[in-house]
Amino acid sequence: MEEIIISTLQRTMVAGTPLLLATTGEIICERSGILNLGVEGVMALGAVTAFIVTMTTGSPWLGVLSALAAGMVISIIHAFTSVTLQANQVVSGLALTMLGLGLAGMVGKPYVGKPLTIKMDDITIPVLSDIPYIGKVLFSQSPFFFMAIGLALVSWFFLQRTRLGIQIRSTGENPKATETQGVNVFLIRYMSVIIGGGFSALAGAHLSISYSKSWIEGMTAGRGWIAIALTIFALWNPGRAIWAAFLFGGIFVAQYLMQPLGISPNFLAMLPYIATLLILVLISLKDPRKLNAPAMLAAPYKRGER
Amino acid sequence: MKKWTLFMLIFSLVLLGFSAGAFGAEDKKIKAGFIYVGPVGDYGWSHAHDLGRKQAEETFDWLETVYVESVAESDSDRIIDRLIQQQKCDVVFTTSFGFMDPTIKAGKRYPDKLFMHCSGFKRSDNVGTYFGDLYQMYYLNGIMAGALTKTNKIGYVAAFPIPELIRHIDAYALGIKAANPEAKVHVKWIYAWYGPDKAREAAESLIAEGCDTLAFTEDTPAVIEVGQSHTEKGKQIYTFSHYSAMQPYGEDSVVSGQLMDWGGMYVKILDDIHTGNWTNEDVWWLAKEGAAILGGNETDPINPKFVDDLKQAMIQTEAFGKISAYDLVMKRYDQMKQGVDVFDPFTGPVYDSKGTLQIKAGERASKDDLLSIMYYVDNVEGTIPQ
Repeated sequence: MEEIIISTLQRTMVAGTPLLLATTGEIICERSGILNLGVEGVMALGAVTAFIVTMTTGSPWLGVLSALAAGMVISIIHAFTSVTLQANQVVSGLALTMLGLGLAGMVGKPYVGKPLTIKMDDITIPVLSDIPYIGKVLFSQSPFFFMAIGLALVSWFFLQRTRLGIQIRSTGENPKATETQGVNVFLIRYMSVIIGGGFSALAGAHLSISYSKSWIEGMTAGRGWIAIALTIFALWNPGRAIWAAFLFGGIFVAQYLMQPLGISPNFLAMLPYIATLLILVLISLKDPRKLNAPAMLAAPYKRGER
Repeated sequence: MKKWTLFMLIFSLVLLGFSAGAFGAEDKKIKAGFIYVGPVGDYGWSHAHDLGRKQAEETFDWLETVYVESVAESDSDRIIDRLIQQQKCDVVFTTSFGFMDPTIKAGKRYPDKLFMHCSGFKRSDNVGTYFGDLYQMYYLNGIMAGALTKTNKIGYVAAFPIPELIRHIDAYALGIKAANPEAKVHVKWIYAWYGPDKAREAAESLIAEGCDTLAFTEDTPAVIEVGQSHTEKGKQIYTFSHYSAMQPYGEDSVVSGQLMDWGGMYVKILDDIHTGNWTNEDVWWLAKEGAAILGGNETDPINPKFVDDLKQAMIQTEAFGKISAYDLVMKRYDQMKQGVDVFDPFTGPVYDSKGTLQIKAGERASKDDLLSIMYYVDNVEGTIPQ
């Protein structure tokens, strides 16, 4: 029994890591008022880039950096269409998803089925990892886990406490007023979209070089979409995203643990989505304003218009 | 500028006409179209079919092939039409169970073309069926699993509760029983043919529940990666590769596995078509025909790392007396290569998990029984989900 609990918690952390990375990125992006539905595609592109670079150079960290760069570069497309051209952000985001998935499949074709022998060692923090139960779960994990937690905490501090973070948030609430304060709204939005894309690509890198250690088309398996739902679930707060991501990771892992109890596997597979709907309904019933959504989310900003 | 564009357009049209003309001039050739349900890079089902297609194309210089990958089952009518009308295919292979009815309908639409449907049971004058099954290899894997397990809990990660998978699970369980009557099989369903993340979590939870040996029916090497990573951390997990050579994903974990070679089958079918000997009779290939092969890679039926352990594990059997697990696997494999009438895993007495006698002593399950099997044998835990 003890082993089942520890293993389940450990798996929860692993399963929640890519969700946390992508959700944090999407929160920064949406806080600036840009809805990015391209997370899934950027994640796939990050996964394939990280895999190819790690395999050819032998350095996983170089793979991570290239994935980050690839995710940022491809996100410029979304920033360009939604900020500069003021096009429909839903359409542009969906296009980015399809583009990313297609591109990743095409580029990655020769690498399908090749095992990655270069491994990223788990980071084990001395002393802390010897604490019974929690030690193994929290302090002996892949570098991506610590990266995800670190980035989420930094992002929280950044958005809440720093000047630039407040500029991002006010851009999402009221771009016109922000611009009158002398802030370059276009620049802020470009930056947020690009940072968000980089985070999504990191999530993809985790999948291909740490979680699976292989590249297969379709390996992101809808995680990008869950991250978008989690952004709402976390009420656009990176601190809350930590709980949300690991809660969802836990639900994902628990499905298989609960199968022997005779509950239909189909029903268990629906759990993460039911949880999202439930939370949204509960929050909306209480007070829709508490949703805390950026007021100008998905609304294009045209400079100089009334 | 516009003139130039127009000129280029006309020029390319003329060129297109020429190439089409040149193409039509050769008439002795056969063009075969393949429709896959997944991406050819899935490292499982569609990948194996594509290897078979390539082998057939290399074998015959009169053969030309085209393929369409990731075809949704609801979209197959359109793809079949395209292969026949645009690509001018003479024969179309549809390689998923869900393509069955569209293939039969296409046979009516194009009575002068041939169709081969994989894994189905409906045939017509110009529609034949073919299938290669791996249940015998699962039985052999089961013998090894039963001999190697230390916890007597053996895991199985399964895609969908359909007869093909129940047949695999049961054959695996019967093999385990032959080597180790104490061991039980635990099954987890992931409801996906292609779900690396789901398979990974299912495997992790089986290991957490105490299973030290895992087999699976699913199209990714995820289960093997899980076994390999636990083995590297000092907890030996034995795994069995499925469909493609997945041993490179877990050299310390993969004991053996099942490989499918569609090449021989495609070569035979296409040769029959070329020589005019084709009939719509079901082609059902097993170990005897060389379609089902034992192993986790192309060279070793059993990973050399585990050969010694298997040679030391002694098993009391009715057929051969006291014998090592290694020898038992090899003897049974030889018998299977001779044919199902020499040895078949589904030979009675076989009881289901509710205690009912399903196959009487001395009898052998028929092909039809196997194709519709929907019960767990008595050393599989739990029930088949509805």
